[in-house]
Amino acid sequence: MNITASDLILLAHAGFGVTGCLAALWVIVETLNASSSNAARIRSAALLTAVCIAAAWIFGGYWYVHFYAPEKALILKGPWPFAHDIFMETKEHLFFITGILAFLLPIATRDALHSNAVARRLVLAVASLIVVTGLVVEGAGAVIGHGVKIALLRGGAQGGTK
Amino acid sequence: MNPGNASQNKLSPATAGYVMAATVAVLFNTVLAWIKDSSPALNNFMKSLTGHHWTTHGLADLILFLVLGMVFSKSGMAEKMDSGRLITALIAATAVAALGLGLWFAFV
Repeated sequence: MNITASDLILLAHAGFGVTGCLAALWVIVETLNASSSNAARIRSAALLTAVCIAAAWIFGGYWYVHFYAPEKALILKGPWPFAHDIFMETKEHLFFITGILAFLLPIATRDALHSNAVARRLVLAVASLIVVTGLVVEGAGAVIGHGVKIALLRGGAQGGTK
Repeated sequence: MNPGNASQNKLSPATAGYVMAATVAVLFNTVLAWIKDSSPALNNFMKSLTGHHWTTHGLADLILFLVLGMVFSKSGMAEKMDSGRLITALIAATAVAALGLGLWFAFV
């Protein structure tokens, strides 16, 4: 088995990202049932969301800056150049929006959600936007990975000329 | 816990301030992506600051969100606005900013 630092960092990026989305989903479920008894749990889930998305940002950013260039070159020479031109370009900037929303979520959950309908609406909106944008980012990551894979497979099938 | 607004169905001053800051920051993020993509000079300048344009872009977004959040919270500017409209503005800004990124990189 040969697992490199690049592999671990990339998997940590995706793992923290999807865990952050699940934590935001947890915030939604708890907020739909908000009471004084689950207020601390909502704040913990919101904090977990922010921490996971921050970790995904750091791991993903480090990987993108230090390891992505050769994969980008492969994608651009392969049959799916749009995996970089559209999906990576959108993902690397859309992720910042997910990050800003994730840092807003713990602030939004400081209000008394069980007695404040507007505060509940805000938390539900922010957490839902994190889930939606986070899943779009995850999906874009899959397309980018597939862009590398088919560049290698089809390049190899054509004698490695791609 | 933010005190004082629990029974008023209104966001606390701190929360309202950071919601407004997030609305501005997500729109700024997309506009900066557009300008950076069209201007190699700006892209190179951002690269020169941290070693990579993407790192500078993320730091700029974060600093803008945090600084505006503090300013809007302390000035009470966001608190004077209708809380429901602040939430709607954040949702709309996120949708426009996200679509703006996708459409830009797909068609421009």
